[in-house]
Amino acid sequence: MSAAPIVFSRVGKTYPGIGARPTETILRDFDLRIEAGELLALVGPSGIGKTTLLHMAAGLETSDTGAVQTGGDRRLGMVFQQPRLLNWLSVVRNVELAAEAAGVSPRRGLELLTEVGLDGYQAAFPLGLSGGQRQRVALARAFSIDPEIVLLDEPFSAVDALTARRLRLLLQDLWLENPPTGLLVTHNTQEAAFLADRVIVLGGRPARVVEEIKVDLPRPRSPEDPALFEIHRRIMSRLI
Amino acid sequence: MSATDTVALPGVARQPEGGGAWRAWAPRLRAALPGAVFCLLVAGLWEVLARTKQSPLVPDLAEVWGEILRLLAGGMALEQVGITLWRISLGGIAGFAIAVLLGLFAARSRLFGAFIRPAVLLGLTVPGLVWALLCVIWFGVGLATPVVSIILGIAPPLLVTISQGLRAVDSELTEMAHVFRFSRAARIRHVLLPSIVPFLLSGVRLAFSLAWKVIVLVELFGLSDGVGYQLNSEFSSQNVAGVLAWTLIFWVVMAAIEFGLMQGMENRLTRWRRESSL
Repeated sequence: MSAAPIVFSRVGKTYPGIGARPTETILRDFDLRIEAGELLALVGPSGIGKTTLLHMAAGLETSDTGAVQTGGDRRLGMVFQQPRLLNWLSVVRNVELAAEAAGVSPRRGLELLTEVGLDGYQAAFPLGLSGGQRQRVALARAFSIDPEIVLLDEPFSAVDALTARRLRLLLQDLWLENPPTGLLVTHNTQEAAFLADRVIVLGGRPARVVEEIKVDLPRPRSPEDPALFEIHRRIMSRLI
Repeated sequence: MSATDTVALPGVARQPEGGGAWRAWAPRLRAALPGAVFCLLVAGLWEVLARTKQSPLVPDLAEVWGEILRLLAGGMALEQVGITLWRISLGGIAGFAIAVLLGLFAARSRLFGAFIRPAVLLGLTVPGLVWALLCVIWFGVGLATPVVSIILGIAPPLLVTISQGLRAVDSELTEMAHVFRFSRAARIRHVLLPSIVPFLLSGVRLAFSLAWKVIVLVELFGLSDGVGYQLNSEFSSQNVAGVLAWTLIFWVVMAAIEFGLMQGMENRLTRWRRESSL
């Protein structure tokens, strides 16, 4: 596997007004490059355009102007805010389907289920699992395809704080095994500091980069590392 | 596995705890009891009415039972029910397939949806009797008459049911399938069809009940066998007990299909719901 860069070139996006909602240009000539193997976190106020950028990289939205390059026909995994599992299929089938669609062996998916702590739960149906377990399945699914790009859309915002902490550590472990290129959208500045190589703080309308913070801390990182608090403080100072 | 994550159990079917067959059947019998009480109540009221009226137009239960035994004894009932069921199955399967295909196309293309909307509205408003008469005139006494009548009778309401199901498909799952690049076949098989299973099941039930109403009319007007034809024969000879006997025989067959086939299929298709709640 080779990680692929993600490049946003002069991207523009305007949402048309509907009813009382006015027409809004949220992105204009927006440039951003995420290097191969880099994990970049986007933070910023709600509605700033973070998710729009992520959806463009995922192919779920198109830009009005400019271009988003993800290297063509790349293997792309994604972890959503909700696990988005197929509740009528077993845990293992949910993971296998992604592997089948990507044309890779399902063996890695089976190994990953054990790695994420779901050994013995392969035959279970998603609704029989806790929220944290379901998100573990979603992580296993995203990494089962040997991804070149992984997109993370507020992946741990729907679980409790303790589960989120465990899942972040798990994500770090999975990432370190074979780092793909990553784009993380989050409201959690500590999460951004802990996981990312670089944090981009967005602000204004249309959105622009108001701060770019490199996180030059070695991995694996500890959530209790005091250096992370300093980065977290810098991010917060630009957000408030 | 973390402490907070281990609240659920693996998906393993729970077995009845001891007590053998009775414990396994007891919940089913309990579920069937209200329906059985209703049937007994209706039969009792009918019997009271028959004894009060003392009229050949309201035969008592013994007379109707005698007719049922007569029809069953010669194998006639089985043969005629088989003929009618065969026609219902052919028309039902064809109508269901057409409705699913048109529903899928309509879901994919708003233009196509708008194009077929007048036909659907027409189909919903035209009574089955009209289709039965027209098909008898157009196709005569062949197999095409019942099959086409049933298709015309069931496809429009089925199409509406299936369209509702397709509109209810979770867009988040569709997005997930898009991101992970599921093939079109995988999207239909693993995302779309399972999402609309409840609608498909209610559609099959609706199709069966509508097809039965249409086939009786077709057999009555244009064919020389089948339950509809036999009902008409009994009606012509003013044999009310015979009409009731045929109706009850077919009702039992339809109930067997519902409780045997349909519920079995439903249980299989929705197994994940039960196992998820264990």
